[in-house]
Amino acid sequence: MSAQVERLKPEVPVPPSAVPAVEVTGLRRHYGTRVVIEGLDLFIGRGEFVALLGQSGCGKTTLLRALAGLDPIQGGEIAVAGRPAVVFQEHRLLPWDNLWRNVTLGLEVPDARGRAEAALTEVGLGARLDDWPRNLSGGQAQRVALARALVQEPALLLLDEPFAALDALTRIRMHALVRDLVERHQPGVLLVTHDVDEAITLADRILVMRDGRIAAEHPSPGRRTTPEFRDRLLADLGVSTTEHD
Amino acid sequence: MTAVERHGAQSYAAGATQRRLGARSLLVISWIVPVVLLAVWEAMARLGYLQPHVLPAPSKVALTAWKLTLSGTLVSNLGVSLLRAAFGFAIGGGVGFALGIAVGFSRLAEAVIDRSVQMVRAIPFLALLPLVIVWLGVGEGQKIFLVALGVGFPIYINTVLGIRQVDPKLLELGRVQGLGTWRLIRRIILPGAMPSILTGVRFALATAWLALVVAETIGSQSGLGFLAMDAREFLRTDVIVLTILIYAVIGVLADSLARLLERRLLQWHPNFGGKR
Repeated sequence: MSAQVERLKPEVPVPPSAVPAVEVTGLRRHYGTRVVIEGLDLFIGRGEFVALLGQSGCGKTTLLRALAGLDPIQGGEIAVAGRPAVVFQEHRLLPWDNLWRNVTLGLEVPDARGRAEAALTEVGLGARLDDWPRNLSGGQAQRVALARALVQEPALLLLDEPFAALDALTRIRMHALVRDLVERHQPGVLLVTHDVDEAITLADRILVMRDGRIAAEHPSPGRRTTPEFRDRLLADLGVSTTEHD
Repeated sequence: MTAVERHGAQSYAAGATQRRLGARSLLVISWIVPVVLLAVWEAMARLGYLQPHVLPAPSKVALTAWKLTLSGTLVSNLGVSLLRAAFGFAIGGGVGFALGIAVGFSRLAEAVIDRSVQMVRAIPFLALLPLVIVWLGVGEGQKIFLVALGVGFPIYINTVLGIRQVDPKLLELGRVQGLGTWRLIRRIILPGAMPSILTGVRFALATAWLALVVAETIGSQSGLGFLAMDAREFLRTDVIVLTILIYAVIGVLADSLARLLERRLLQWHPNFGGKR
């Protein structure tokens, strides 16, 4: 029977990134008279890891919040497959709920505890099911937040500078964990960050946002990155790496 | 050289003595003082320095407590008082909580309710007593109303405050996780507001008891206050002192009850629950 199923598979599998996780066309977002995003188009496929770089105030967090459905949009269209999951810069764990209750917040399934255990095990905290958030370190709390996002099996995972508040070593460990988890769960990922190296390490594709638009787009060279590529990204961001005259 | 050594040894010994005195002895001393005061009071009364109608001996008060308990008078009057407090607390607390929830959630409700409530709150609620007596007489209604009035305000204010203080970032998280209104209230808003609400409950318990003392002092036919006022007629200071002591004990018990609630419901809170 399994052989039959095998035979029915198409010769050339559809690459996962062709299945849309989110598709944005002509997005417009403004606060009063100040236009933050104007005519923005974006496509992220399932299993694709996209990093969004930009200076503070360029509208990258505004874009993420619009994708998350947290803010109203003034024009254009956002088509998300299902409800996106978000990991914020702060862990935002509920201090009055233990870890498994936190992880399953908003999840309506019969065996919530079992699902939480599986998710917490994936982030290396399977033994802390009944522990309280206040007993966690910053990195551990952020891992629980990651488990809470992934337990929903989202088609789109939005990461809003989730590693910014962590120390350097913890951040490196988190990078490996996130890459691992994304590979296993295959959501489309949008990582908002201002860390160029983080973007290169984690993403398949890097977008640079400036003045409310996608100003540049590059496939990430990953481990085969060069100082020149890094300089080019920084130039896209409007940061000069050559000495001033 | 030996002098220095001896000096060192002596000062070490002195330090140790002081440490021993520290923990246990201070506790003992802190209890010795009230016991001594009680003994002095007893001695003064027995030796005739204190007239029985001014201040009866503690032993006499204890004896009176025993007699009144046996005759059932104490228990029945205590029961009446507790019932009044409970009814008043339930009504005042219920109304205060409901209004607090409404105002906490809705700006419209705030516009409609809050200013008026704050204006009424400016009146010391005991000052309303004469008016309440005109409205409701001196029956059960007056007593329960006064308790409810005293309880309603602290519960209302702390409920509103608690809801307003819930971290907006957690509310946002609730929306991201797809919580509906009811589950948002259950999982995030009420637990977040709970420390403040329980502070209100503690205040309200103290106020309820105070309101009851005042209300029962006037025109009661039953209750602890009646017991005290009735005793006044016959210069039974032993009964009066007894009721005062009972008021104190119940006040302490009510406060411990509130603390217990805090420890149970706020286990997660570093300021209330113990380490786990």
